Formats: sequence, C-alpha cells, structure tokens
Amino acid sequence: MLGYTIKRLLQMVFVLWIVSVIVFLMMSFTGDPVFMVIPIDSTQAEIDQARRILGLDRSLFEQYLVFMKGMLQGDFGRSYVYRQPAMDLILERLPATMEIVVVAMIFAALVAVPLGVYAGANPNRTTSRAIMSGSLLGISLPSFWVGMMLIFLLAVQWQIFPSSGRGETVDFLGLKLSILTLDGWYHIILPSLTLSLATMAIILRITRAGMMEVMRQDYMKFARAKGVSRRGVLYGHGLRNALIPVVTIFGLQLGDLIAFATITETIFAWPGLGKLLIDSIYRADRPVIVVYLMLVAFIFVVINFLVDMVYTWIDPRITVK
Amino acid sequence: MTLHTDFKHLLASVAVVAMTATGAIAADKSLTVGLTSDAVHMDPQAGEELSSNIMYYHLYDPLVRRDAELQFGPGLAESWELTDDVTWVFTLRDGVTFHDGDTLKASDVVFTLDRLKGSLMANLAANIESFRAIDDSTVEIKTFRPYAALPNDLAAILILSEDHVKKVGDDLDRQPMGTGPYKLVEWVKEDRIALEAFDDYYMGEAEIETVTFRPITNPATRTAALLTGEVDIVQDLAVRDVDRVKRSEGYEIITRPSLLNLVLALDMRAKSPTIEGDNPMTDRRVREAMARAIDVDTISKIIMNGLSTPSAQYVPESHVGHVDGENFHEIYPFDVEKAKALMAEAGYADGFTMTLDATNNRYVNDAQIAQALASMLAKINIDLKLNLMPKSNFFGYIRVPSDQSSFIMSGWDVPSGDAGSMYGVMFYSRDKKDGYGQVNRGSYSNPEVDALIDKADSTPRVEERDAHLQEVTKILLKDIPMIPVHYEQDIYGASTAVDFTPRTDKFLWAYDMDIEG
Repeated sequence: MLGYTIKRLLQMVFVLWIVSVIVFLMMSFTGDPVFMVIPIDSTQAEIDQARRILGLDRSLFEQYLVFMKGMLQGDFGRSYVYRQPAMDLILERLPATMEIVVVAMIFAALVAVPLGVYAGANPNRTTSRAIMSGSLLGISLPSFWVGMMLIFLLAVQWQIFPSSGRGETVDFLGLKLSILTLDGWYHIILPSLTLSLATMAIILRITRAGMMEVMRQDYMKFARAKGVSRRGVLYGHGLRNALIPVVTIFGLQLGDLIAFATITETIFAWPGLGKLLIDSIYRADRPVIVVYLMLVAFIFVVINFLVDMVYTWIDPRITVK
Repeated sequence: MTLHTDFKHLLASVAVVAMTATGAIAADKSLTVGLTSDAVHMDPQAGEELSSNIMYYHLYDPLVRRDAELQFGPGLAESWELTDDVTWVFTLRDGVTFHDGDTLKASDVVFTLDRLKGSLMANLAANIESFRAIDDSTVEIKTFRPYAALPNDLAAILILSEDHVKKVGDDLDRQPMGTGPYKLVEWVKEDRIALEAFDDYYMGEAEIETVTFRPITNPATRTAALLTGEVDIVQDLAVRDVDRVKRSEGYEIITRPSLLNLVLALDMRAKSPTIEGDNPMTDRRVREAMARAIDVDTISKIIMNGLSTPSAQYVPESHVGHVDGENFHEIYPFDVEKAKALMAEAGYADGFTMTLDATNNRYVNDAQIAQALASMLAKINIDLKLNLMPKSNFFGYIRVPSDQSSFIMSGWDVPSGDAGSMYGVMFYSRDKKDGYGQVNRGSYSNPEVDALIDKADSTPRVEERDAHLQEVTKILLKDIPMIPVHYEQDIYGASTAVDFTPRTDKFLWAYDMDIEG
C-alpha cells in the first residue's frame, strides 16, 4: 500500500514535469506577451523596459530554469498581466469552480444512479425507454445551448432564477463560499444543472449497462429466492457489482468538469477558473496557463488515485500493488 | 383613552420610521453595470484595458480632465500656464483630499510621475522630460521640446497618494486609493466590483451612492441580466439583441460612434514582403485604385448591420488636426471602373498578389471585413490572400520593421483628442528620430510631413499645432499611405430609469450618471 502510494507520487511528479515542459514550449508560439500589456505605440526603450520587468529579456530556456527553480521553492511565478503570483490567481477562483462542479456531480449522481438502476432492472418498460431517450438528449445537447435556454426560460421569461453571477458569499476557513447562503444556492442551481446534464446522462447509461449485465447473474436470482427484498437485491447485490465502471467514469468526469467548466462558467458569468484560462490564453499569459494546466494534471492524478482506493472498498477482491 | 393615544402615538412613530426609511432609500441610489470583462488592475500604472480604465477614473483623478466629448478642462489642477516654451506650471486645487483623508500635495504628483517613468505604462509620460514641486500646490513639468498637447497627455495620468503607495507597494492593485469620486468597497474577481461614493469628493458627492460592476462576458447573458433587472445598464449590447431590448418596455438602446478607427496600412517600400517583384503600391495610382475599390458603405450595411460610421479622416472631428469638410470617401468614392482604369494606367491591369494581415478576435467582425476586402479588391485583379490570427500573435507579428507584412488591417484610437500623437508614431519616417515612426507599418516617408510634424511638435500653442497638423492631414489624404475604413459603434442597453450619456472614449463614469430612486 505504501509502496503503491510512493509509486503513484513519483508518476505524478513525472506527469507534472512533462506538462510544464510541453506548456512552456507551446506557449512560446502563441505570441509575445509584451505586446499584450503595453500600449502598441511604445518605443523600443519602453518595450525593453517592459521585457525586463516581466523577465522576458532572457532566453526561453533560461526562463524555464527560473520557473523550475522558483517552483521547487514553492513559487509558481507571476502573471504577466496581473503581476500577481499565478497560484494566488488560481486559488482565488478555485472555490467557485469547485462549488458548481461538486453540486453538479451530486445532482448527476442523485438522478442518474437510481434511474440507471431502474432502467437496467426493467429494460423493457416504457418508462425505461423514455429515460434512455432522455439520456441521449442529455449527451447530445451542447451545454451552451442548454444554458442559454435555461436563462431564457427560467430567468428572463418566468423570472424564477437569476441569470448570472454567484450571489452572496461568506468567508469559511478563508475561502469565499456561496453554497452556505440562500442567495448562493439561488444562483448556483442553473449553472450546476447545465453542467451536470452530460455527466448525468453518461453515468445513467453506464449504470444501466452494468445493471443489465449483473441482472443476468445467478446470484441475483439466489438472493431473491433467499428472500431478500427486490430493493435490497437491486442496490445491495446488483448496484454494488455494477459500480466499478460507474466510479471510474465518475472520477474522470469530476476531473473533466473542474478543468473544463469553461463554457458553463462563461454563460452564467460564474467567477471560476475557466474564464481565467481563456483570458490567459488570449493574453499569452504563460505563467498562469502553466500553473493552471499543472494543477489540472495534479487533480486528475489525485482523483484517479482516490478512484483506485474506492475500488478496493467496493470490491474487496481488488488489491492495489 | 390612554390606550387610544398610545396607539396613535405608535402609529405616528411607525409612520415616521417608515418615512425616514423610504427617504433613506431614495437618497441611497444604487446602480449596477454589466461590463464585458473584469478589470485586470486597479493600479493605473500596471496596465490598461477598458474595464481597468473605467475603474481608474472612478477611484483616481488626473490633473487635467477630459469630458465626455473629449474637451479638456481643469481636474486636480485648477489652472496651468506656460512659463517658457517647454516649462508648464500647474496649480493644484485647494483642499482636495484622498479617500484616507490626506490632502493632495504637489509631492504626490511628483511621486506619481516618478513611479510612472519606471512602470509598464511609461509611454504615457513619453513627452515629459522632468518635473518638480515648486511648493505644496504648484508643480512644474518640462517637456523635451515645445509640446502643446501636454494637458491632453496629462488627462491619462492618474494621481496616486505617495503615502499610500509607499505603504502598500505593488499591492496598490488590490488596495487602490485616490481622490476619485468613488471608493473601492469590494472586488470579488470575475464576480463584482463594488464602489461607494466618496463623501468629500472635491466636485461634490456623487448622485449615485453605490455602484456595482459585474463582468458578464457572454453577450447573450449580458442581455438577459439587463432584461431581468439584475443590471441597470450594459456595455457592448450584442447587435442581434438590439431589437429585442428595444421591444421590451422600460429599456432603451443608446449608441454612439467610437474613437476606434479601423485602418488599412499600405506598404510603401520598393520591395514588399508578400509581393513578388516591385511593390505596385509605391505608385499613388494603385493606392487610389485600392481606395476606390473598397466600398465602405457596403461593409457598414452588410457586415456591421449599419452599426459603424465610415471614417472621413484618420482622426474624428473633435480632434486637433482634423480638417473640416474633407472626407476620404468623398475624394475617392467607390468606383470600380475608375479604379480599373487607374490600375491600367499604372501598368497593373492584370493586378498582383499580396497578403492582408488582420486579427480575428480584436475588432467587431474583423475576419468578415477581411474577407469582404478580398472580394472587393479581386474586382481590380488584386489577389488578396488572408492571414488572420488572434490578437495575441498579431501585434507582435506586424510590429515595425513589419518585415512580414504588405497590407495590414488594424484599429487605432486617439483618446488624447490630438492627431499629432497618431501622426508622429504612424506617419513620421522610420528610424529618423527617437519616439517617432515606431508604428509606421507601411514605412511611409514624406519629408514634408516630417517637417510639419516637427513644427507641430515644437510649438507650445495649440492653434499653431492644429494648423500644422491640418496640413499633414491634407497631405495624407492626397498621398493615401493608409485607407480609413470605419469607426465601430458603441452600443449600450439601459433601463429607462438610468440617465446616461455615453462618452466618446467609452469610459463609463457613474459620476456623470443618475438613476431614478
């Protein structure tokens, strides 16, 4: 177990290093950040001064070395545009993104798992067919369209929910959170619903497929014959055995939503990470992009690690080595 | 009886409380503005883009104030005079206080200029050679050479508090403090910026007590937020939403031409990077043919939905250096036959091939305009290849010496209200004088123009400067080193309760606005 953890940690360091190299190289092709921060009609002397201030007067290789050296000391570099530590900019926006993602994932799981179990256990019922068609819609409708429709209907036409923004926040352990206020919940419903639809549909379909597979097993019939209630059979024996792929996909989706909730965030003017990433790409703000992508890689590695741990808990036959 | 009186008493006091409560609400007017993006900075020397600029002018003040119509008048400086050709003496207004209660002193101005010179925005002080405080309320500024537009330049320099900046350092970006009409209450990145009126503002307290700016990037969401009443006014209303907002009761659309002039720079070098053989554009007839082949009215009607104003000259009417009555598109009206004839006369009846460099995410419909230009110039046999790129690549790519470009589409705005600042950098011969010609992308060079700009930049008197710059404008209209296309239109959507007149420079300023209680 300890050996496994160490092995995963080393893998993670390697992945993060590769990400930093690739991003650094790629970003050198996306334009010169100096021209994004100074007036266009600046003289050469002013440009040189700006390069010096931003540390862009050195070669790319030197810049990378400086970056790596800083990082080993816990300094992730400063944004060219904001002139603030890149990590601070990201951490400042992370809680907002985590909020909609967590709420979206909870929505998705609460709706998708029971419906998936139902559709898998009763594949021939009309309701099951309706659920499956609905899930196809969930996968195929683009989130920007769903988001705009929700705003149009629920915010503009019927004025039930606000169209955008995060609402009131409160400080909790130094983080600004909105899910602790009523106003915050009022604001979070539409964006997290939009964000959850695709995940909901995918989890539903995976659960159903797993359940259909499990339903054919003899132990299901035995359990029923033994006198376990239908509900107990479905959730205790059926779902538990169908859960491995569901958890895998759940983990991947979680990482995906954290990293790329961009579109939903833009539509609902949600002050999360996605907006920062897009802006930084437009402004060629390399330090922010590098740290962002490294953080995303880190989150993926951690989630996958946790998913592996959950496997052993769901299925005691699995051990990690 | 007693009970009855008590009850009446109670009712009366409730009424009084209620009245004072509503009274208080009426006095505390609040306004919410939907911006296209969050401010990046609150430190005016850290960078510039529209949202940050809007914040700067709420939090700080310049020495010279530029009003909504680009007229310049006293700001923190009450008056100024020229003591010799290069020396200006500014007298500060009495009793101006910063948000922290400190009084504005000449040393704050000196400190501001000093810090500016070493910052990323040093360009703003490019014409200033030296400065010093004569006493607590007088500042002397010397320019490198006689320079009549100094007050215009100063309108872009916002005065900081020396004590405060020394205390917070670079954290000024997060703890801004100036003399402006509003104080920062809260800045939640990408969510909202809340401002509160500064009671002791030297021009009198603002009508609107609290102003909240909300960055809403997606145009459709911005419209939705307006229609749900979450915001009172939005910037850059999407063209497709204009009708919808007009139809909704209680909202209005407000438009005005912006300062941003979309221009096409023509390469004037003998050899041009993307043209094989000699550069045909060195021949004035070819340049005129190109000007005549481009139909700006069609671009405005078809591509911009009528929301653009064809530009008559290189700078708008309000500017020093504008020649009344001259219009590029009347001198060279759209006329393909005439254009073809000119091409034939110049010996290029069969045309030539070159590349247009343009952005695809900087100006309104920039990519479509580039495509339209290609099809228009094809009519006179110019085969225009398009090289479109995002702005982050573009401005480095076209940079002087522009050795990859023959034909460039870009925007240029002159918020200083003075054509000289544009002409000096764009039309002065390259590499002749420091600080001149650094964005002369077409490498235009006319000794007469250089001489006139030199003259304009060596008189401290605005009338003379204006006369010289008008001469330059006339020569440019004849020489065609650049084809002006159009000014984009600024479009705002607002609740009718808001009293708002858009500014030419696009800087929304709550101090000038009001809202019905």
